[in-house]
Amino acid sequence: MASISIENVRKNFGAVEVIKGVSFEVADGQFAVLVGPSGCGKSTLLRMIAGLESVTEGDIKLDGKRINDVPPDQRGIAMVFQSYALYPHMTVAENIGFSLELKRVPKARIRAQVGQVAELLQLSELLDRRPSALSGGQRQRVAIGRAIIKQPRVILFDEPLSNLDASLRVQMRAELQRLHQELRPTIVYVTHDQIEAMTMADTIVVLNCGNVAQWAHPIELYRRPGSTFVATFIGSPRMNLIRGMIARQEVMPSFTAAEGWTVPLAGRNLTAADGQPVWLGIRPEDIRLVDAGSAADLSCKVAIVERLGAETYLSVVNGAETLLVRVQGDVALRPGDTVQLALDPAGFHLFDQTETRF
Amino acid sequence: MRQFTRAQAAAYGFLTVTLLFCLLPFLWVALASVDPNATMFLSLPKAITADHFVKIFTANNGGRWFFNSLVTVGATTAVVVIVGGMGGYALSRTNAWWKRPFLYAIILVRVLPPTALIVPLYKVMLSANGLMGALVRSVVPPDSTRAAMRIFGFVDGYLGLILVLSAMQLPLALWIIKTYFDLTPKDYEEAALMDGANGWQRLHRILVPLALPGLGAAGLLTFIGAWGDFLMPLTFTSSAELQLLPIGLFRAFQRANTIDYGYLSALALLYMLPAVAAFGLARRFLVRTFTGGIKG
Amino acid sequence: MTYETRMAWQNRLLLVPALVLLGCFILIPAVTAIYLSFTNDALSGYAASHPQLVGLKNYLRLFSDQGFWNSLIVTLAFVFGSSIVGQFVFGLAAALALRRPIALRPLFNAAILLPNAVPEVVAGFIWISMLAGGRYSTLSRIVGLIGVAPQNWLESAPLLMIIVVNTWRGIAFAMILMTSGLSAVPAEVYEAARMDGATARQIFWHITLPLLRPTIFLYMLVSTAGTIAIFGLIYTLTRGGPGGATEIIGIYIYNQSFVAYQLGYGSAVAVIMLAVSVALGAVYVRVLKVRV
Repeated sequence: MASISIENVRKNFGAVEVIKGVSFEVADGQFAVLVGPSGCGKSTLLRMIAGLESVTEGDIKLDGKRINDVPPDQRGIAMVFQSYALYPHMTVAENIGFSLELKRVPKARIRAQVGQVAELLQLSELLDRRPSALSGGQRQRVAIGRAIIKQPRVILFDEPLSNLDASLRVQMRAELQRLHQELRPTIVYVTHDQIEAMTMADTIVVLNCGNVAQWAHPIELYRRPGSTFVATFIGSPRMNLIRGMIARQEVMPSFTAAEGWTVPLAGRNLTAADGQPVWLGIRPEDIRLVDAGSAADLSCKVAIVERLGAETYLSVVNGAETLLVRVQGDVALRPGDTVQLALDPAGFHLFDQTETRF
Repeated sequence: MRQFTRAQAAAYGFLTVTLLFCLLPFLWVALASVDPNATMFLSLPKAITADHFVKIFTANNGGRWFFNSLVTVGATTAVVVIVGGMGGYALSRTNAWWKRPFLYAIILVRVLPPTALIVPLYKVMLSANGLMGALVRSVVPPDSTRAAMRIFGFVDGYLGLILVLSAMQLPLALWIIKTYFDLTPKDYEEAALMDGANGWQRLHRILVPLALPGLGAAGLLTFIGAWGDFLMPLTFTSSAELQLLPIGLFRAFQRANTIDYGYLSALALLYMLPAVAAFGLARRFLVRTFTGGIKG
Repeated sequence: MTYETRMAWQNRLLLVPALVLLGCFILIPAVTAIYLSFTNDALSGYAASHPQLVGLKNYLRLFSDQGFWNSLIVTLAFVFGSSIVGQFVFGLAAALALRRPIALRPLFNAAILLPNAVPEVVAGFIWISMLAGGRYSTLSRIVGLIGVAPQNWLESAPLLMIIVVNTWRGIAFAMILMTSGLSAVPAEVYEAARMDGATARQIFWHITLPLLRPTIFLYMLVSTAGTIAIFGLIYTLTRGGPGGATEIIGIYIYNQSFVAYQLGYGSAVAVIMLAVSVALGAVYVRVLKVRV
């Protein structure tokens, strides 16, 4: 178990700067998730922690010690590859026990340890099979087994669930969490799926093309996203962003949407100027439908209705604005119906022109 | 229930014609090799004899030729698989500035006809031979010089012939192995690295087993190419003890007055066999696919 | 040293043996050939012990040499007929035919592979029985069944005969390459095409062939280069005769260097041959747009 410290790390591939100064820390035993859009350098960062890519600038520290120049096989770090990389010519048992074999651990010990790991991962019946005879989920567990048997200080996961079908993914998420609770290794997990991030992480690093957009606890990211990027990336369905401006009406500041409706912004210490263009962010779950006649903030026309049974998603239109509303339970609305919306002030997020929170 | 469509019939028809076309020339040599009265022409033998085959090994040096070919070509194959294996791997994995030029150079070299190179090559080998001769004479007692030179000589010596044959087969092998490694993701090596394997362990536990199909294909094609090589042995061996099968066959064929077609046919068949066997083995490697360790 | 630098050095080291072999036994001789072509080096006579630089004399001689031009034309016809047309068509057709469910597939496979598996000298040897001897040659006897007059095929149609023999020899290589190229096309592509309503012919022209392009490149390049370099097969059959009718360029060089003993002149021809081969390689790379 170890803590990881990424300090101002940069990575260039030739003339292209892929990682542009990233800093964050993962405490001992934490489950950290690196999340962000595909192709933004998350895997590169992971590989740098593993030692498979060099660091152009900055430091990577393990338990406080700089490991930039330590070869990958000497870092005490295990990695679960996106493709699993199970040795096709070896059985499951041999795959898992390979690292022990290399260290010349006696066969009996290897068998015992492999057996333990196999039981933990429910692979005991598959020990004599070859990878080609396994399903995706099984292969993944073998890859995990291969990692944990080394009792590494850190386990790295590179998008391990992206090739599994939906139900298997849910199952594996639970498994990974269980493993983490039982064994408590330090985990750095890369994914582009924010649901995986939110459900499993102790701390999330949101990456936006080589930069850290925000680094915080999942709920903190949910409640106080630092930028429109994070706000729309975290949370599903994504947050609504409404253009408008601040108006300081003598006594109370308010937000006026481009479409004309206004909501008061009570109890906020705003340092914004009158007429300053801003974005108002509000999550679909913070918008309520109100009956005609009650106080409403704006009125819209329903465009699309998605009924999931336990909840309903409504895509509503007001002029040039389109909002997504999430309603509990089933609502029998039809496209073309008019609805009244009330926005919960506790769910307001304000972002200025540079798209950062204020 | 099989559908016998027109396309299917056409396929069968074409394949049958091709089969006959391919096999017909062999009929003569097969029959003549057991025919005590074999002539140059296709005829059904009136009697069967194994004399010709026996004569290969008892008279006329046939056994010696066979041994020389086996040793030389076997060594060539080993050299090419090892050197080509290392080189092909490096070429696949590297992204250095010299990768493209090197690969184009391999295409270039592959394209050069040996007949165009044979003369200057001979001159090069001659000088190398001189150097080797000096080296050998300084190390080995005078009685064994000839024997040593027969092994280590560059001209009229096993070493030279093996090196030349290897050089000729290397470009194709490099290409085959490089292409094969291109299709093998680096993940396995990296996983092995993270499992704690050092270079040697990665090589013989992971890389070589995974590369076997590619190495096998390269090795077999090298064997076949070198086994059939006529020009190199022709140019670089002269002493009788060093003759390889193709030269023996060719020379026997040139003895205009007394061509023993039965003997020649038997010799030709013997010469054919290892090449055909190698070809048969190569098929298995060429067909094997590669799944299991990589998802999807 | 970082992982990456270590790997980089390792790669360089791994290539050294290959570089040494190729450099010493192929590249250096190639360069030496160029040098020799500017001399009047020979295997016997005064020039053998005192070779001198003679500038472009050898090349000039080439231009007016009927034998050289003849050899060039013979080689072109040979390469086109056997490698580009014969072997390719047969090989592709065989590859396509064998992808279907065919009974006795191993038998067909083996039969097609056999001519390529046997060494050159043996191949030449057995075709002599097929072609030489006038009335008794196997070919005469076969075509006699359909009323064609028996002839000494190697004398009456030598070029055609060597094209046939080389086609026979090379079908397997084409077939193997085409088969591997075809199997690299995922089955789903064909299924998608069929769902799009494409006929078998359309599938072949618009999907199979374009996807086969890299394979076809590899085949054409290697096969052409290999065919130009053929020596033993034809030498055994005809020694380049009669009267130079089958004197492919390799045999021409051999005759000039080791029979006429003109090393300098032979080298000049060799250099031309090298240049043509290199040009060929370049053309194919460009036309078929291959990236390494």
